[in-house]
Amino acid sequence: MALVQAGYRVLQAIDGVEGLEILQSQGADVVITDINMPRLDGFGVIEGVRANPDHRATPILVLTTESDVAKKERARQAGATGWIVKPFNPVKLVDAVRRVAA
Amino acid sequence: MDPFESIKATFFQECEELLTDLESGLLAMEGGDKDAETINAVFRAVHSIKGGAGAFGLEELIRFAHVFETALDQIRSGVIEPTDEVVKILLRANDVLADHVQAARSDGAVEQSRSQAMLDELQALIGGDGGAMDAEEDEEDFGFVPVQMVVEEVPEESADPGAAPAASDVGEGERAWRIEFQPNPEMYTKANEAGLVLRELARLGRIEVEIDGAEVPPLDQLMAEHAYLRWNIRLVTDKDVAAIREVFEFVEDDCILTIVEETPAAAPAAAFEDEPPAVVPPADEFDPAALLARLTGEVGGGEAAPEAAEAAPESAPEPAPAPTAEAAPQPAAPAAEPQEMGVAGLIALAQKATAEVEQAPAPAAPAAAPKAAASGGSSAPAPQATIRVDLDRVDRLINAVGELVIQQAMLSQRVIESGLARSSAVALGLEDLELLTREIQDSVMAIRAQPVKSVFQRMPRLVREAADATGKKVRLVMEGENTEVDKTVIERLSDPITHMLRNAIDHGLEGPAEREMEGKPPEGTVRLAALHRGGRIVIEVSDDGRGINRERVRKIAVSKGLIAEDAVLSDEETDNLIFLPGFSTAETISDLSGRGVGMDVVKRSVVALGGRISISSEPGKGSKFTMSLPLTLAVLDGMVVTSAEQTLVAPLSNIVESLTPKADEVHFLGGGQDAVIRIRDTFVPLIDVGRALGFRDTPLNAADSVAILVESEGGGKAALLVDAIQGQRQVVIKSLEANYQHVDGVAAATILGDGRVALILDVDALVSTSRRKAAAPREKRMAV
Repeated sequence: MALVQAGYRVLQAIDGVEGLEILQSQGADVVITDINMPRLDGFGVIEGVRANPDHRATPILVLTTESDVAKKERARQAGATGWIVKPFNPVKLVDAVRRVAA
Repeated sequence: MDPFESIKATFFQECEELLTDLESGLLAMEGGDKDAETINAVFRAVHSIKGGAGAFGLEELIRFAHVFETALDQIRSGVIEPTDEVVKILLRANDVLADHVQAARSDGAVEQSRSQAMLDELQALIGGDGGAMDAEEDEEDFGFVPVQMVVEEVPEESADPGAAPAASDVGEGERAWRIEFQPNPEMYTKANEAGLVLRELARLGRIEVEIDGAEVPPLDQLMAEHAYLRWNIRLVTDKDVAAIREVFEFVEDDCILTIVEETPAAAPAAAFEDEPPAVVPPADEFDPAALLARLTGEVGGGEAAPEAAEAAPESAPEPAPAPTAEAAPQPAAPAAEPQEMGVAGLIALAQKATAEVEQAPAPAAPAAAPKAAASGGSSAPAPQATIRVDLDRVDRLINAVGELVIQQAMLSQRVIESGLARSSAVALGLEDLELLTREIQDSVMAIRAQPVKSVFQRMPRLVREAADATGKKVRLVMEGENTEVDKTVIERLSDPITHMLRNAIDHGLEGPAEREMEGKPPEGTVRLAALHRGGRIVIEVSDDGRGINRERVRKIAVSKGLIAEDAVLSDEETDNLIFLPGFSTAETISDLSGRGVGMDVVKRSVVALGGRISISSEPGKGSKFTMSLPLTLAVLDGMVVTSAEQTLVAPLSNIVESLTPKADEVHFLGGGQDAVIRIRDTFVPLIDVGRALGFRDTPLNAADSVAILVESEGGGKAALLVDAIQGQRQVVIKSLEANYQHVDGVAAATILGDGRVALILDVDALVSTSRRKAAAPREKRMAV
């Protein structure tokens, strides 16, 4: 909602697999993903995005929790562009997107 | 579209925005704003246009922009004082520049004499050969738009390479930081972009960015996946180091980063301000056209996307110092790989960065992101949540809503007729539906509403040209530019406003000498204002000129047979004579407003929009034209009446009052066909609507009927005789011409709640027809 208000168009997916499908079919300028998701988790999404030649340069933002430094580092290694620490507020979200979206 | 054309299209789009910025900047200067930032913005606009024009080899445009820019540069550096006179010259130069852009866009040509005269004027301003383009400068200024990014509020001196920024630029509560930033290749593989980081950094305060490209190898040795660039940044901010660190949050593990506070003692920037960064391609080989060709041609060869990220940032954060010839080719090297971004993306990105850093911080809409940009998309970010919709679609929606309103009204009537109780669930539901329908209708109308700004914007130029043509000094004051009105109305406002403004300058204002004799300031003021009043939009055009010469107006009207010699007219009536067809007070036809088209044309176009126009004037003080128009052409407040069993609608805006005539108030003239009615000691024609429209032949007994006193747009009054009044209602206008054919005395049609078609009366036509029939001299002048 905050993103829509900030002028972005948001496509939603219910899990990682659908997310990659949407990215493939409709494209996106920024990917925002959670880590824990059914069918395909956040790391899988990041790898899937980076493995796609069309989206090697697409920024990916990961939703992480403050406590889980290991997961954050793993996401980063996998190719995540940035992260949003939960619990996140709309300002933080829009801010993060602005920082990675051209 | 081939890539080159699409870049060019983007450039022209950009030009339009730049020209708007330029004009508003100059107008601000005219209004006394001599702020360095304003002057800078004006300079930048011209500079960017020239830079872009250089890339496309638009010689004429470059030549003009160059001289213009030189003049502005001298103002910027204080060589020329931006007096009123100077700003006026600049404003005219702005017009010529716009013409040049237009000509370049349409492959047309600019009137040579005009352009040359303007050039001479600017040259005179600059003094001598200040504007001559020597080879060296030539090359420098061909710098491509993106590399000329001027980061917000960079101290002016830094435009001069070698001049170190003064240490005193650090204000109260601010600190200066030195940041070295060298991304590792890994940073780019994670889709982080140095340019975006720098953009974020620029939000924190004033920033100077120096790019270090010393490590960039020659093109053939360049590795797509590698990172060669580093940036030296000087940031003056009131934020703390944590805020700076936060900007690098996503990238700090993938780059070499040092952040140190600048000590006042250290000579700021000396280390890297003086020498331009080492650069790969030799400067003297730089040719923008060739560069473009190379970029567009060779882009396909690359394999890696990550470097695309690098390509754009490299061009974007170019430091403020005047771009050197060497600076320009830099984007060429890394840009050789990306396939998708292409040159357009590169340019658009860089422009975007420029725009965003210079303007208010705003998130870039995803639509403007690389992919959209690469396909020739817009260059400016669109932070507002707006969409462009085809006007046809909106109109279709409006039509559908019109039908909805009608259907809703019909349903309500059916329910009432069926005898359902007012408190029944159906009736209550209908009431809600009615409210909802009204709300939908209002919302849909609001979609079509646009600020009148689009029309007003064109007027400053018109006024300048009119002022030049007449040799008068004119200041245009505009108010209420954001007043909203239906798009159709806006489009048709342009001509009347243009005409009224020209008229005010040509006829209203006196020349400077005459004004001074009368103790007025030599510069005349013309005011253009828009405001909402009573559900209508009012446009006022006023001047502080001589006012209407009533004696002369009267003489002309008599000589042209428009009024009788002995006619007794009030001042107001005299003033309004100028709206009569064939009336023109200019004794000799002037080039400006006297092309045989008089105020009658203005009046006609205003009336065609359902509006009215009037003038008030005070001798020696000025005149004021007031034009009032309905906000929309789609609905109308009307009085529903019956006549000869027909349902008719009289526009409420025409109605003065309604009354039941007494038999002794009605007097028949001549053969008894034409009647007048006495209303409080004045006689007005009585028009039997049923007969006028041919519904019946037999005269109506006035005593059994209702008379509606109406006033036409021209001020002529008449009483319309109808059988009964049903009530007041908002009706949706349906064109009669589009669905049937034109009928005299009928303006349009509508569909009423019971589903029947009702005609909307054309009161003006009815009144003037009756007046033509009863053509008495006194009546004639009333039939304005």
